[in-house]
Parts: sequence; structure tokens; C-alpha cells
Amino acid sequence: MSTSANFVTPGQQRHLRACMRFRDEGCPNCEEFLHLAGSQDQIESCTSQVFEGVITLANPARSWIAKWQRLDGYVGGVYAIKVSGQLPDEIRTTLEEEYRISYIPRDGTETETDS
Amino acid sequence: MASSNDRSRFEDSEDEEDFNPAPADLSDEEAGDDDADQQLRSEARGGSSPAPRRDADDDEEGAEEEEDDVRRPAADDDDDDEEEEDDEDEDDVQQGHRRKRRRDKRNAFFDIEAEVDDEDEGEDDEKDGEEIGDFIDNAHIDDMADNNRNDDRRHRELDRRREMESSMDAEKQAEILRQRYGNRRSARGFGDASIVPKRLLLPSVDDPSIWAVRCKEGKEREVIFSIMKRIEERAGTKDELAITAAFERGGNESVMKGFIYVEAQRQTDILKALDSMLNVYPHSKMILVEIKDMPELLRVTKTPSLEPGAWVRLKRPVKHSGDLAQVLDVTENGLEARVRFIPRLDYGVRDDALSVTADGKRKRPFGMSGPKPPQRLFSEVEARKRHPRHIQGNPTTNTWSYMGDEFENGFQVKDVKIQQLVVTDVNPTLEEVTRFASGAEDGTENLDLKALAASLKDSNTLVTYLPGDIIEVYSGEQKGVVGKATSVQGDIVTMSVTEGDLAGQTIEVPIKGLRKRFRVGDHVKVIGGSRFRDEVGMVVKISEDRVTLLTDQTNTEVTVFSKDLREASDIGGQGALGQYELHDLVQLDPTTVGCIVKVDRESLVVLDQFGDTRQVMPSQIANKLPKRKQAVAADRDGSEIRLEDVVKEFTGQQRQGKIIHIHRSYVFLHTNDSKENAGVFVTKASMVNTIAAKGGRVSAASTGPDLNTMNPALKIHKNGAENKPQQPIKMFGRDKAIEQTVIIKKGAYKGLLGIVKDTTDTHARVELHTKSKTVTVPRDSLAFKNRMTGATIDINTRGRGGGGAGRGGGDRVPSWQGGSRTPMASGNSDRVPAWGSRTGGRTPAWKAQDLSGARTPAWADGSRTVNPYDGSRTAYGAGSRTPAWQSGARTPAPGDAFGAGSRTPAYGGGDSWASGSKTPAYGASAPTPGASGNDTWGYTPGATGSSNPYDAPTPGGALLGAPTPGAMNAPTPGAYSAPTPAANAPTPGGGWQGGWGADSAPTPAAGAPTPAASGFAGSGGYYGAPTPAAYGGAPETPAASGPRYADDDDE
Repeated sequence: MSTSANFVTPGQQRHLRACMRFRDEGCPNCEEFLHLAGSQDQIESCTSQVFEGVITLANPARSWIAKWQRLDGYVGGVYAIKVSGQLPDEIRTTLEEEYRISYIPRDGTETETDS
Repeated sequence: MASSNDRSRFEDSEDEEDFNPAPADLSDEEAGDDDADQQLRSEARGGSSPAPRRDADDDEEGAEEEEDDVRRPAADDDDDDEEEEDDEDEDDVQQGHRRKRRRDKRNAFFDIEAEVDDEDEGEDDEKDGEEIGDFIDNAHIDDMADNNRNDDRRHRELDRRREMESSMDAEKQAEILRQRYGNRRSARGFGDASIVPKRLLLPSVDDPSIWAVRCKEGKEREVIFSIMKRIEERAGTKDELAITAAFERGGNESVMKGFIYVEAQRQTDILKALDSMLNVYPHSKMILVEIKDMPELLRVTKTPSLEPGAWVRLKRPVKHSGDLAQVLDVTENGLEARVRFIPRLDYGVRDDALSVTADGKRKRPFGMSGPKPPQRLFSEVEARKRHPRHIQGNPTTNTWSYMGDEFENGFQVKDVKIQQLVVTDVNPTLEEVTRFASGAEDGTENLDLKALAASLKDSNTLVTYLPGDIIEVYSGEQKGVVGKATSVQGDIVTMSVTEGDLAGQTIEVPIKGLRKRFRVGDHVKVIGGSRFRDEVGMVVKISEDRVTLLTDQTNTEVTVFSKDLREASDIGGQGALGQYELHDLVQLDPTTVGCIVKVDRESLVVLDQFGDTRQVMPSQIANKLPKRKQAVAADRDGSEIRLEDVVKEFTGQQRQGKIIHIHRSYVFLHTNDSKENAGVFVTKASMVNTIAAKGGRVSAASTGPDLNTMNPALKIHKNGAENKPQQPIKMFGRDKAIEQTVIIKKGAYKGLLGIVKDTTDTHARVELHTKSKTVTVPRDSLAFKNRMTGATIDINTRGRGGGGAGRGGGDRVPSWQGGSRTPMASGNSDRVPAWGSRTGGRTPAWKAQDLSGARTPAWADGSRTVNPYDGSRTAYGAGSRTPAWQSGARTPAPGDAFGAGSRTPAYGGGDSWASGSKTPAYGASAPTPGASGNDTWGYTPGATGSSNPYDAPTPGGALLGAPTPGAMNAPTPGAYSAPTPAANAPTPGGGWQGGWGADSAPTPAAGAPTPAASGFAGSGGYYGAPTPAAYGGAPETPAASGPRYADDDDE
């Protein structure tokens, strides 16, 4: 969901898609890498419907939760805690080589290696 | 990481820059300006390096040395500037700058590329020029120098211009780049953040706190969105929410459901922020999350990924919810899986019923209502029958598309979202899995137990270990360690190692790396996980974590996972289903009852009264018939039989069993000889004979109290009451009356001789000798006769303690024949008592004998009676046997032999016996025998010798001794030893060995006589038979018997 409409009515909540790494369509956090806006294919491959736990971020700069979730550079909004699925390999490669962004999956695999 | 990379790369290029120019300088210096070619070449070389400018500069230096001195410092300045710039760049951490630099370089590179192209041409030119040059050189050498100079200058100018341009370009480009990527700084955050290890992100006291706020269960996410909404609504206003973040981690199984977590500096911020919000209750209890617990709140655990082959359960479609499915494939992003499962198709049968309703509505109720169609593999034929148009597919690959669903090999195949699958705790039963396995087209079992095991491991939480379980570590560092669980806490099992290097140590192991360990031969019980639950059996094979066991109840082999097993202390296994237990009698319908012979998990096998087995569900059973302890039936002989009596079929297989149920005329019997129907069989009560009644009860006869047994007078004068038939006594085992020769004393058949073929407690079936007819007569009108001698005998006379009671009855006497040893036994027993007492106690016993002197005579009877001596019997009857004895003593022709026998004295003793003076006699006889029958009895004393008591036997010895001497004796002993011991192994055996003591002990007084009597009688009886022969002079008999006897005794 875009930043301008972070509220989703309960009836639509089941249609939520969590962006695997960023947010979906036109996501201010990731648009420049993933170019989700307007591209249904890209959205399909870069977002996930399977997620768990929802964070609403009011103040990304001061929130520890944001820091811990590595969301501190992001815009305020709603984020997922756990997202099943990972980005397709080609997109990961692009991200890493072109944008020097290392991809941290949020599906729970990270904890084993990182913390 | 990105920045450092960048940097290093940048430095590299700098190095190159510094390094390369040097040789270029040298070459330039050396070559001077005169060689344009050279310069070109060096420039070309420079082109390959990213630092052509320097070269150009240097060239300048070299070339314009004389010409333009002023220029030089300028050039140097340029250089310096550049270097400064470089330095700046180095110092500058700003990415944008760096990026600019890179672009910058790259631009230069591109330019040079272009030059390189030129150079390529130039090189061509060069070559051409060389040729031409040569030519020109040859022609105008002077001009050439000038030309060169001009060229150089122009080159340098060009270079300089380019240099300028390129630097300009770089700046401009940098600007553009900055514009384009300026907003990347935030993006850089990703890269940076990803490098910061989590541990550096741990919360500190400066961070806002997190409170758990109660909210309505299931509404967590809604609340979070409400908060989001409120945040946005109030952003920028004076009411701006002071909370920094909030989150929820609800979910059906989540432990965090019913709470949202709000991060804020102060608690009041939260109260304000959540004020009057729906579904959240900030005013109830708000829990501050401790700092150290904060990361835990956000911990994410990996959802187990699905592997092809794994087992899952479907949540959707509803029709299939709960059905087992197998994963065929998982999409790359792990969000969807292709699964196969057994379809539940009714091929439109129910569609028709509902076809009345509107089309749109028809489908809805269809899936939801009514029972699910059963799981069946897809059948093309049936599908075609109903919906020929909706099916298409390929028969060769057996893939079909029917009503929009795909089917392969009978299974339905479907792409399902992961969230519509139950992935954990699938617990597929072997039964379910087998259905998949048998689905292979070639019919072979491709049951992949490994995949199954993998699925089951997911559900390891269900595995319970108890202290004492023998467990084995099968994965991890401690793989192979075997030990015994000592305690279990959560997922950690503490085990003390029993084998291997670590033996004796105690280690802790996570539960998931453990399995139970059994050995072949262990007795185990299936505790869950499969349809074999509650089976108990013995382990016969172990392969990895699969254990095969042989069940106790059905003797079949079943294979289960070791985790489902536990060491069993009980046996037999499952014996009950609901209220029904094995061997219960149940009513199947008003006319049919049955005995439960097998209890399965959901059904029972019942053996009905007609001998048929049938499998029934508990619901098919009308009711359970309580065990009626008082139930009585009459067996074939009319004897009463009750529960627990042992009876034997009269016909058929002559099976013998214990009565477990009596239903009307049917008896259900249980035997351990057969495993068929759990050893239960059914027969008619009238088809069985009683073998043993429980507790030795003899039922039918005693309808009231037995007055006779209560009559002390009778008891005392038992033997005197010859004419009075003794009341039936308690008997065990086979009726001794059977096969006896009897004479009927009363009734229509009075006086007829016959053989008892069968008996009840009150009656006997007698096969008459006169006419081949079998008649039933009351037992008490029978007189038992010695088959050979015709003497009346008492069949009940026995050494047994109980024998005393029945002894009186002359009728029984006959039994003697058969039970000649019995007498023996009794003989023994009287002595025995004596023996038992050792102290000469028997003497009294003997005296007692006097009372019952009757037998003594009997003895006499026995020995000499023989046919000829009716008298002896008479004596018997009269009870004046002493005389009889006497007569007997001499009677025997063998009397001589007797006389000769050393026991004559003994006999004499015999007389004295009556008076009780046998002791001496004994003394006398004892030696005698020693002398006489040394072989036989000799040892006895020997053996006994040590013990006084033995002397007691001596009497016996004396008795025996008596026979021993003469040839005549020979038989006696023979009879004695052979039949007695052999036939009546029990009696004699036991008696002889000292059982005697026991035996006789009770009966001493009463028994005492008997023995004598019986002993003799026995021998006498025998006498009757063998004696003749013996008499005739069959010395060998004695010999034979002698040793035999010895053996027995020895034993």
C-alpha cells in the first residue's frame, strides 16, 4: 500500500500483499530498485501474500523496532514482521550488483546466520 | 561494504595512474620530441591505462621545455590540483562524490576509448606513415622536424582541450548523477543496515519502551491499522501521536494473540494514542516488556519449507479439508505447492438432485453441505458416464481434466497456496499413506517410508520420552550415543550414556535428534501414530527407526516407527473396545449370542453360538450379557457343569477347555491349545464330559447336606459298614469306576456282571457281560469286583489323604486292580506317616491299623487270597482279617515261599502287628529283608540307613521283604514296583520319595491300616494276576521288579 493510504479496511485485509523486501506498488522505499509501480509481473515476483505480524511505524527514526527490523531508513507505514518467500534470484543479483544492497530475507532464515 | 569496495577500487586506479606514467615519462625524455611515432605509441599505451592525461602533461613538459617555461608551472598546478582533488576525494566519504569520481574516470576512459579508435587508425597510419615517413624522411629531413613540432603542439593542445572538457564533463556529469541519484542516500541505508549485526542493534535504555496492550483476540491486525490511520490523520496536528511504532503478531496458534505491542517513550503516550479506539484495551493491564525480551518479540522463525514428497493436509477446498496430500512440487518463491491427493468425486450424482435450483446457487451448497463423497481414485469410466463432455485427457499418460480439475493416475493434482496447507503435525497414518503408495500404475508399492519419516519428524513434538527410555542420538555431534533418559524438560532430554566412550557421562540432547532404541526381543507396545496403536508385541526386526514387531494377540508382523513404541510391561495388548472386552458374551440379536474373540480398533470379532465368527461393530451389538456365575448346565452325563469347569468334547475334535460362558444349552470354552478364535470354541453342553469341576465340586449328587459324612458313627466305623455303600467321595480326575468290573447289586439287573463304561456322580453306565447292552444303574447299586479274582474291591481306596473316607466301601475295592499302586501308595502312606514321624510314630500308626485291621486282612487277601482263597475275602468282609491274614499267610501255596521268606518272622510280626508289636517284628523284618531282598530293599535301608525314620519304612521293607524271599515274593515286588510306581506314578512316586510323609501325615491313623491293607491288597491283587505266573515260578519277575523298585525308591 502506498504511504498515502496506509489504512486498509478490515474487509480488504485479506488482500494485503507484503513486499518481500520493501513494500508493494509504488513503494517509496524500494521503487527505484524494484520498479514495482505499474508492473504486475514485478509485483507478483517481488511481493508475497504470506506474511505474519504487522508493524505500524510512526516514527522510523526513533523507534527501536524500526532499527531492529532495519526499517529505520524507511518511510512510516505498515510493515510485516515475517514474510514468507524470497526474492527471485535474478532480482537479488541485480540488487546486489547494481545497487549494492544485500538482501535480507524476512522469512526467518536470517536469524540463524545473523544473530 | 559497498563503500569500502568502492574505495579500494578507486585507489587501485590511482595507483595505476601513479605507476604507469613513470615509464611513459622516461620514454618521453629519452625519445625526446623528435619521434612522433613514439609519442603516438606511448599515447596509445597510455590509452590502455586510465591515466592518459598525465602522459600528455609529461609530453608537454618534455616537448615544451624550452619553448614555454611559463606553461610548466601551470601544468604542474594542474597536476597539483588534480592531486588535491584526488585527496579530497579520498577524504570525502560522500558517496555522491565518489560516484562522480567514478563516472569521471569512466568518462575519461570512454574518451580514450575513442582515442584508441583513433589510435587504431593511427597505428594503421603509423604503419603507413612509417613507410611514408621513410620516404619523407628520405626526402625532407628538415621539414620533418618542423612538422613534428607542429604536430606535437597540436596534439598537446588537443589533449589539453580534451582534458578540460573531460574535467568539465565530469563535473557536469557528477551534477547530473547527483541529481539522479541524490535520493539514494536513504537507499544506502539498506546496505549499511544490512551490515550492522543484530547484536549491535539490541535495545538500550535510551530506546523507547514497548508495552503489551490487551486487545480483542483476532482483531490485532485491525487495531494496528487503526493506529496507522490515526497516526496519519493526526500527523502534523497538535494531537500527533507520540508513539513511535506498534505491532501485532496475532494468529491462531500464536502465543502473542490478544495483545498488540506499542512502542513509545512513555506509557501515557500510549494511553493517549489508543484512547477510544475499538477492540483495544489500554486501560486494562498494560505490560512493560523488559529490554532483554524485546528482540524476542520480533523473532522470526523459519517456516519449515516444503519438500517434494512431503505430506501435508489440505485446508481447502472444504470438501477435502483434513485430507492427506503429497507435495509434488513447490514454486520457487515457496508460496504455492503442487499437491496430489485422492479426490472425493461423486461424478455429479448429487448435482442432479440439486439441479432444480438456480445454476449459481447449485455449486455453493454442493461443496458445503451433505457428507463428503468418499475418497476414491479418479475413474475415467465413471466420469464419462455422467459428464462425457467435461472430461478430456490422455489415456496413455493417464492424465485427465475433469470439471476443471486435473487428475493424474487417479489422483487429483492441484496447485494450492501454502497457507491452505497444514504443514506441521501432519501425522500421516500408515493407512493413509498406503493408499498413495498403492496408487502406482504398476501396482507396486512405492511407499517411501523415508519421506514419511521426514513428515513425521516434523511432529516430533508428539514424541514423548520418559525417564528410563533407552534412547539413541541419531543426528548431530553426538550421533550414535546411546543412553537412558534420566529427565525430560521441554525439548531437552537429559540422558546418561550407557555405551561407548562417553559411557557414564550425562549429556543433554535436543529431542529432535533422538529416537528410541529397542532390541530384538524387546516387548513393546505401540503407543500412537499408527493404526496399530495399543498392539503389544515382540520386536523381531529393527531397521533404522523402523521396528517390526510380532503382535501378541494376532501373531502378525507390523512395522511402526520406533517413536511410536514403548517398552511394555503388560501383555496381550488391547483387550477392550468400549465396554466390550475379549471373551465377553454379547447378544447379537434376540436369538444369537456370541463370545468376543478378537478386539480390533473399531470392530470386534465374535464367535456366535453356532460356531461361526463374524466381525461386528460395537454398535451392532445389542448388549453385553453379564457373566452369570450361577449358570449351570448338564453335561453329557447329566453332571452339573458350571463356569470354569474343565470339560471335554465327547465327539468331534474332543477339544478340552474351560467353560467361560454358559448360554442355554451352549457352552463357550476356552483352551490354550489352539490359537484359533483366541482359543475359544463353542459346543453344546450335552456334548461334553466333565473333566474337572472347579474346586473339586461334585455337584449333582449332593442335593442336600450329606448326612452320612456328618455321622460320626459312620466315620468311626467306616469299615465296619461294609454293607452300607459309602457316600460318594470327592474325586479328582477320571472316575476310577470307569472300566471297572462290577456286579449289580440291586434292581432289574441285579446280579449281572458288567463293566462300567461311563459314570456320573450318581449313575453308571454298565456294559453287561451277559448281553451286549449298556444299562444305566445307580452307582450305589454296584459292587466293584476285581476283574481277575472277582473279589470285591474298593476302588476308592487310596493313599491319598482323602482316601480314608472312602475306604470303607467294599464296592470300590475293585479299583484296586487298576490302582494296585494306589494301595501301594496307601501302603506307603501308612508307613509314611510313620516315616514322617520317624520317631517310631508309626508304631502307633500301626496300631491304628488295628482298628482298621480290616485291611491287614485285606493284605492277607491280597497276598494269598488269590482266587482260591475266598476265605481271605470273607475275612475281609468280616473284618476279621487277622485270621484271614493268618489263613492268608498260610493259604498261599506260596506260603511256603513265604515261609521261606525271611519275613515269615515278619509275618509273625504281622500277627503281632495286630497287637502292635510289630515294631519288633519290624526290627526283625528289617534285617530280614536285608538278607532276603538285599538287592531291592537292601539299598533302601542303605539310603535310609542314615535316617532313623527309614527304619520306619523298613516295615514296608519287611512287607516287601516278605515277597522278596520266595519266588513268590518276586512277583509281589514285581507287581508292586512295576505297576504301582509305573502306573500310578503320582502316587508311588510322590509317596515313595517322602511325599509319603506328607501324604500319610494327615491320615496317619486311618491311613496306617489301609496301607498295610492296601499295600498288601495291592500286592495281593496283583498277586492275583501276576502271581500265578510268579507262582508258577517266574523268578525273573522279581528280579525285574526288584531293581525297578530300587530305582523308584532311589528316586
